[in-house]
Amino acid sequence: MRQATKEYPFDWMLGSAFATGARLGSGSEKEYRTTLRYVPYFSGILSALHDLGEPGAQFTSLCAKYFENLLSARDRGCKTAATTFCFSPTILYALDIVPICLEVLSAMMHLTYRRGTGEFLDYCNEAGFTETSCSSQRGALGGYLAGLGCQIDMVVTDTPGVCDTNANAFAFAAAYLKKPFFQLDFPPVLVDPRSDTYHREDYRALVRFLEEQTGKQLDPDRLREVLDEVRRQDDIAAELDDLARMVPNPVPVAFSFLVYAGRFLFGGMPECTSMLASLLNVAKANAAKGASGLRSGQERARAYFCYIDHYAQSMRLWGMLDELGIGYVGSILAKHWSPSSPYVSQLAKQAAAYTTDTTDLDTMLDSVASLNSRMPMVKSIRGPYDAPNMWLEDTLGMAKLYSADFVVYNGTPGCRNTWGMLKLFTRDTEKAGYPTHVMYADAFDERVQSWEATRERFEEFVRVRRLLP
Amino acid sequence: MIVAGCDVGSLTSKAVVMNDSRILGRAVIKSKPRPWESAESVMNLALADARLARDDVRYCVGTGYGRDKIPFIDEAISEIGCHGKGARWLMPSARTVIDIGGQDCKAMRLDASGNVEKFVANDKCASGTGRFLEVMAKALGVELSAMADLSLRSKHPVTLANACTVWAQADVIKYLHDGIPVEDIVAGVNNAMAARMSTLVRNLGVEPDVCMTGGVAKNGGVIAGIEKLLTVRLKRVRRDDPQIAGAIGAALFAAEKAAGARR
Repeated sequence: MRQATKEYPFDWMLGSAFATGARLGSGSEKEYRTTLRYVPYFSGILSALHDLGEPGAQFTSLCAKYFENLLSARDRGCKTAATTFCFSPTILYALDIVPICLEVLSAMMHLTYRRGTGEFLDYCNEAGFTETSCSSQRGALGGYLAGLGCQIDMVVTDTPGVCDTNANAFAFAAAYLKKPFFQLDFPPVLVDPRSDTYHREDYRALVRFLEEQTGKQLDPDRLREVLDEVRRQDDIAAELDDLARMVPNPVPVAFSFLVYAGRFLFGGMPECTSMLASLLNVAKANAAKGASGLRSGQERARAYFCYIDHYAQSMRLWGMLDELGIGYVGSILAKHWSPSSPYVSQLAKQAAAYTTDTTDLDTMLDSVASLNSRMPMVKSIRGPYDAPNMWLEDTLGMAKLYSADFVVYNGTPGCRNTWGMLKLFTRDTEKAGYPTHVMYADAFDERVQSWEATRERFEEFVRVRRLLP
Repeated sequence: MIVAGCDVGSLTSKAVVMNDSRILGRAVIKSKPRPWESAESVMNLALADARLARDDVRYCVGTGYGRDKIPFIDEAISEIGCHGKGARWLMPSARTVIDIGGQDCKAMRLDASGNVEKFVANDKCASGTGRFLEVMAKALGVELSAMADLSLRSKHPVTLANACTVWAQADVIKYLHDGIPVEDIVAGVNNAMAARMSTLVRNLGVEPDVCMTGGVAKNGGVIAGIEKLLTVRLKRVRRDDPQIAGAIGAALFAAEKAAGARR
């Protein structure tokens, strides 16, 4: 690792970039443009967010607030927990624990820095963690293993049985950093009374672990507050999801990323709710005018990303889609299986949705266990790809519901749970009538395939399959 | 109407001058560090071969990885499109085209009209590319062009890693040190290459007729290996040099564009 990289804690650096970005929003356009010249390293991501208008400004502030919380956790007497994107932070916030979501931090670094997380990815290998693992955790994890991040108090994850590379990353982190560790695991079937019982009991064991680590007892009123906020966020996200079905899609392409990143960081917290509301305002205004969310105003085709997005510096994935006139109807990460989601009602998937019953502590724990078990990836990639409620069914359902013209897969080479089935999966999506493009890139590591090469292949695909009229 | 196509690849640059779908001149050179220099040189050679001057060319299309840096073209078109078109011209019955370039390899499926319907490409690693063969030839101390004949003399081909060029090269050096006959190692190299390509082609789905373009199409050892693994006979390209398929496709596009512009 270069000396320069070791000079400052990486989370503090990221926090400073977003805090600066958030402050820039209050200046004039001229002041903003002038200041960008003084922050050449961060200007790409800051302008990409700034160009999204009020939602972009709110997202920048939300990220700044997240880092402020994280960096001041110890001073405020709060514990921190390293965790994963598919673990709902709701329960952590209910116990005043600040979540350190490794994947979101890896994505933020990749979106922000020209070198991405390369040095941290390599540091994990130096520390002994395999390079065949997933780069989404490894990116930020390297920073923590190298002692370049804030203090981690505990490690919690919920991926054993779903994603071995994810589960191993957290197990490695806990052992290497000598931190208390808890892992929830999931049965391979989603809708099943035995699975429900398992989810509930396992989740109660998690709560006991968290109470032990914090020395606090879970306060039912605080949990209710957080769950009520989750419900509000669900409703807004559901409305956005519903608007995305319109032709043209009034939701700007990058909003989906803002929705899920916001929810992974601040699920159940009001900071996220107001940001989501600002997205909805823009989408509604576009819808009222019958306008597309694309800058060109003309939607030439629409794509559903069946797995995750690509986090190339300065949000270039969404920039490319916007430039090509491709309406984006989200990825697996943006689909939260709340009862109000259009895909739950339209695809008649009530049994696959979670519930939020705040009657008493028991019903709330059941609700949060259910919510956690329906988080992206652990919901649909826990069992065989073509089983009911799993990856293929969800993808075909979403593609149909959102009138997608084609499907795109992007992931990381370490993602064995998707790559293992991808050939059969794409055979089936193609058979169902959806041209399917597989990106051979790594969403978090451009050293695998440069963004330029990834873009060229993508453009080749849409051209060869004649997807852009 | 005189048109031209220029394909600036990572290892070689190719140019073709055509008139009414007939090749008047062609040239292949080793690519130079700067794509515009490669393009100028190869196009001048092709024009000389056709006994024409630059001003005689009505429309020119560029392709290959250096296509955006060619100064004299009217338009740049992607490699997949040009290789598909060129392959169809070389082999009108082709439905599956295997193209091995200097630094990538691709398989394309063509529809009945010759349009590229689907493609798969491997660009993550030099393995399975022309560069792979070049590195191995150097390690073995043999000419690239001699690899086909050498491998046909092999009695006991060795097994080589085919996922990584560097590891395969280490295997080659070890076999040389162990005194394994060069022809057996060369056959192992060709088989490794064929195995890599066959996996890619199977991924796309094999639909006859299958043909191969690119410089590696001149290596009978690789072709034989692919045929064995895919259990399908590869139709040999005889109409012209399979290495210039991309440039031919570019020139054919140029003809269409020029005709469109004239209308």
